[in-house]
Amino acid sequence: MEITPQKSAADAAAVLPPRAPSPEARDAPTMKAAARDPASTSPLRRILVIYAILGLVWFAFPGGLVDWLDEHNSTGWLAAPLALARGIDAASAATGVKQVGQSLRKRFAAIIGDDEG
Amino acid sequence: MLFPTIDFGLFFALSLALVWSLNSQNNLKKVVLLALSLAFYASWNWRFLLLLLASGVISYLVGLYVDAAAARPFRRFALALGVALDLGILAYFKYLDFFIAQVLTLAHALGLNPSIAFVNVTLPVAISFMTFHAISYIVDVYRGRLAASRSPVDILLYISFFPHLVAGPIVRAHEFLPQLASPRNPGDFSFGENMLLILGGLFKKMVIANYLAVRFVDPVFTDPSQFSRFDLVMAVYAYAIQIYADFSAYTDIAIGVAALLGYRFPQNFNQPYRALGIGDFWRRWHMTLSTWLRDYLYIPLGGNRHGALATARNLMLTMLLGGLWHGANWTFLIWGAMHGAALVADHSWRRSAVFARYGAGRIAKVADWALTFHFVCFAWLFFRSPSLDSATQYILGIWTDNGAQSTMPGIVPPLIACGALTQIVPPQTRAALGAMLDDRGAVAQAAFGFAILYVVVAMAPSASAPFIYFQF
Repeated sequence: MEITPQKSAADAAAVLPPRAPSPEARDAPTMKAAARDPASTSPLRRILVIYAILGLVWFAFPGGLVDWLDEHNSTGWLAAPLALARGIDAASAATGVKQVGQSLRKRFAAIIGDDEG
Repeated sequence: MLFPTIDFGLFFALSLALVWSLNSQNNLKKVVLLALSLAFYASWNWRFLLLLLASGVISYLVGLYVDAAAARPFRRFALALGVALDLGILAYFKYLDFFIAQVLTLAHALGLNPSIAFVNVTLPVAISFMTFHAISYIVDVYRGRLAASRSPVDILLYISFFPHLVAGPIVRAHEFLPQLASPRNPGDFSFGENMLLILGGLFKKMVIANYLAVRFVDPVFTDPSQFSRFDLVMAVYAYAIQIYADFSAYTDIAIGVAALLGYRFPQNFNQPYRALGIGDFWRRWHMTLSTWLRDYLYIPLGGNRHGALATARNLMLTMLLGGLWHGANWTFLIWGAMHGAALVADHSWRRSAVFARYGAGRIAKVADWALTFHFVCFAWLFFRSPSLDSATQYILGIWTDNGAQSTMPGIVPPLIACGALTQIVPPQTRAALGAMLDDRGAVAQAAFGFAILYVVVAMAPSASAPFIYFQF
């Protein structure tokens, strides 16, 4: 077993992870730029996609937001959003979307043995 | 305000619109981002905002002084003062009671009865990560890696930026501050890949980590004496998957959220359970912590420049302090010491003639992987146990059969398999899927995102446990 003494400061890091070649090279792999159509990289379009996802999930599982708004509405300042959330809840229930989500959650909770699911 | 909550969903939706609408007015955008970050921090405990602001102001002033001082002794003094202040805050809130407890134990053992009282302070959220960022800035300025910022807003935003504030990744000042200089270009970031990062992070946290914790790991570690030998062994493997799923989920979401806001964060995990050797493990696990410890502790201690003994000492000190950073508990110190000793052994082994001759063979690699993985799992046992007594009881439980039957829920093996899958999927898969998603229209992107989130919400438990690294 032989350890060769390292003479330079750069060698000093040999035991722990090596020094990163550059901040760019160490960036998460997700950060690489690619040449794309400018319209597809527009912030507005991305924001709309994210809002659409959140909106659809809200419609599919409306109970969570109603409970959340109800919890935070002690002074009545969230009355308008709460009314909207209840409207969405009713619409989701009327179209049967809410029941599908609830049934899936119950089924998975039963599989996993989660009483509170 | 945890990531997988309605609170954060609403907060993020608001932040996203606000930040991009102000992209052309960079200074105003930074002020708004700072205000959002402070609001995010205040959502836990607004009283600790003062601490966050103090850390930012200390870093800002010390940075300016270090940059301006011509004489080296003055620069060194300012650096030492800044680091001491940052570490002093951390020591007071995180370690003082632990230190007092050790002094009292020692005094009682010597038959003394000193009148020292515990300070009983609440540990502020994110104090460790805050300290790492503050030290990174002033040391980088001292080393000339970046010029001191003239903008207190930039420094405060660097330390408090909400995606990394609570549990990292640890972003270096020289990586982040230049990004604040100009408006961000959304074209620099893959929307599809970042969406996958966030959705994958939500799945790892809300499904894999939460269920493993609640249904199996927590009960076993709370009272190991009630469980069979098989359950005790399986709970260690389950915890290895849980902590990876939990922590990597946090950093994946943080990286994705920051990227959607236009800022780059460094990678923090790279399939750590594939590691061949402990050195390799630390190149893959919490990479931003290991590189931070290397650059700001191990190398200043001398690294491996002064012979084998000094190298071993430096490695042990680095890992002991790294262990202690996780919390004021002997279990973390033991965990750090185990990793330190393993790194010393790994370092010697990889330079040995035996390794040079046989180390590249397939069997040697399989043995290397198995040994590394099982060592890491064994060390997690100490990391997870609430006390040394509890860890000892756990190990004795594995050693001696109490005759109990296994009560491991049937869902545990599939969840462990899911976690294991994340270690063997080729790393470029996400980039390829992300690129495919980028090429689709907005409707397809929204439909895909909704479908994944729908599955996650349908499978998630009704309440989410805090992230493990939230407490560090």
